[in-house]
Amino acid sequence: MMLRETYALFIRELKHWYRAKVQIFMMLIQPIVWLGLFGQAFPIKLPPVALNGAPDYMSYMSVGMLAVTALFTCMFAGMSVVWDRRFGFLNKLRAAPISRGSIPVSRVMAAMVRAVISALLVLLIALLFAHIPGLQGLTVTADFGILNALGILLILMLLATAFAAIFVAISLTIKTQETLFAVINLLNLPLMFASAALFPITGMPDWLQAVAKVNPLTLAVDGMRQLLFAGSEGIYPIGVDILGLLAFSLVLVSLGIVVAMRALKEK
Amino acid sequence: MTAIIEVKDLVKVYNGNIRAVDGITFDVAEGEVFGFLGPNGAGKTTTISVLTTLLQLTSGECTVCGYDVVKQPTDVRRSIGLVPQELTVDDDLTGRENMMLQATLYGVEPKVAKERIDELLALVKLEEAADRMVKTYSGGMRKRLELSEGLIHRPRVLFLDEPTLGLDIQTRTTMWQHIRDLKKSSNMTVFLTTHYLEEADSLCDRIGIIDMGKIMAMDTPATLKKSLGGDVISIKIPGEVDYTDVIQSTSGVLSVKKEDSSYRVKVINGETATAPLLQEISKKGGAVTYVSLERPNMDQVFLEYTGRSLRDAEQSGGFDKLAASRQMRRSR
Ligand SMILES: Nc1ncnc2c1ncn2[C@@H]1O[C@H](COP(=O)(O)OP(=O)(O)OP(=O)(O)O)[C@@H](O)[C@H]1O
Ligand SMILES: [Mg+2]
Repeated sequence: MMLRETYALFIRELKHWYRAKVQIFMMLIQPIVWLGLFGQAFPIKLPPVALNGAPDYMSYMSVGMLAVTALFTCMFAGMSVVWDRRFGFLNKLRAAPISRGSIPVSRVMAAMVRAVISALLVLLIALLFAHIPGLQGLTVTADFGILNALGILLILMLLATAFAAIFVAISLTIKTQETLFAVINLLNLPLMFASAALFPITGMPDWLQAVAKVNPLTLAVDGMRQLLFAGSEGIYPIGVDILGLLAFSLVLVSLGIVVAMRALKEK
Repeated sequence: MTAIIEVKDLVKVYNGNIRAVDGITFDVAEGEVFGFLGPNGAGKTTTISVLTTLLQLTSGECTVCGYDVVKQPTDVRRSIGLVPQELTVDDDLTGRENMMLQATLYGVEPKVAKERIDELLALVKLEEAADRMVKTYSGGMRKRLELSEGLIHRPRVLFLDEPTLGLDIQTRTTMWQHIRDLKKSSNMTVFLTTHYLEEADSLCDRIGIIDMGKIMAMDTPATLKKSLGGDVISIKIPGEVDYTDVIQSTSGVLSVKKEDSSYRVKVINGETATAPLLQEISKKGGAVTYVSLERPNMDQVFLEYTGRSLRDAEQSGGFDKLAASRQMRRSR
């Protein structure tokens, strides 16, 4: 029964997460600082047309922060895999009569849940910022209903699943924490900046635009902005954003499982 | 007796050049406690890793419970329990949660698992600490939790890799008692590794002495010790009379060495030979003022078969892996 063991391992991951209060705090402090400093200190004055319909840059960038938060949370899912290898827990799982697939699948699921919860917390904070005098925050201008909310949830889930799959697979093939950090750093900044998460892509050079247009982060923020801002002109229609993300996560999860299964084979 | 573990010409070469296990062959009978005794780097963990399907063998054949470890790894995994050398219990779960997770991974029904967990936690005296986070446990407590985890699914064969490494004498002795109790209460087969001579001696029905990837000797502790040529009785008989001939002619005596008024007498079995020997001497008018019986210990056995003492072999290691791994956890 693959379901039973996957669920048990999934719960273990979540227990680790909510028990490590400091970790959650650290995870959230970064986007808060970004929203508080970066967003406030460098107000880029651009008309809503250039900002996917966002009323101001802060609102534009807040949406990017949701996606970036999901990305960061998923990166750290890899850490727990590396620790588990170091302390022999992975070997204990390998010696157990469980389906090997449950090891990556439970982790991807847990990383996805963590990422979505973290991103939603950042969303709340950004909304709150708009109501604090002297601070800028996320101002929603669309007719926001339950469908918009579900759309955002779906987009975050798909994005997080795709990223979680990549990082879990990478961390299962990697043996040490140092290497993992190196890989994370290598992927982290390019993924973030070669996307529409923080800056509109229209100002980018052509080659960077080409990269940004196929970055899952771009698809996610593009979709979410259309759900949050009235009259938003997306880079793609929202359906394309969602289908694109779905394709990304399906491909990456399948690839991730194949890579993970090879990495878990006995040597 | 049927063999439950069969190993034939097992070779494991790491990275193409490190011959960790160099052609070993042995059987373990059902219900037996079999121990691998050897210094650091002897190949003990490597052998266990192959038998528990964690490591691909280079050549040879191994079956556990009749299943081939290469061709039927899932069947093997289902029939065995493994308590690894390093501590693998999860720091950020409670003791009970750790046990429950293990039970789920081994497909034990939740209701049955709950009962067994209580039972096992009581056995290893962790009831009080059961609902505390494992990160608040001492090394000995973790090791005991680890042991009980290995038992949750009542495996037919239990692999214990250095079950008492890093534990104090007292905890070690209780651990031995747990293992003995287990053996008594079920017909479980235990395969353990150790580099403690006393452990091998007091726990195992049979011992394989392993060094540099090869089995140097394999038998019961008693036979291994006997093969060294018997026990030594030391006696002191003050006075000028030489009793060498009297002693030599007593039955069961192998040899005598005299030094001043002390005699070192080699006999086949010290326990049965002492009384007749003393009788013979007193018949001839000798007044014995001191007697001691020395039986060869496992250290001498190890020396005999590997050409070096276990402590020497260990010296180069300079280790306390358990302490080291605990430190690593702290810095997490
Ligand atoms: N993953 C590995 N890669 C390369 N060499 C290894 C690996 N694991 C073990 N070895 C080598 O194989 C040999 C046997 O190691 P093994 O861990 O089986 O010893 P051991 O008897 O369990 O020792 P200890 O008492 O220290 O646990 C050693 O020389 C060791 O350096
Ligand atoms: Mg070892």
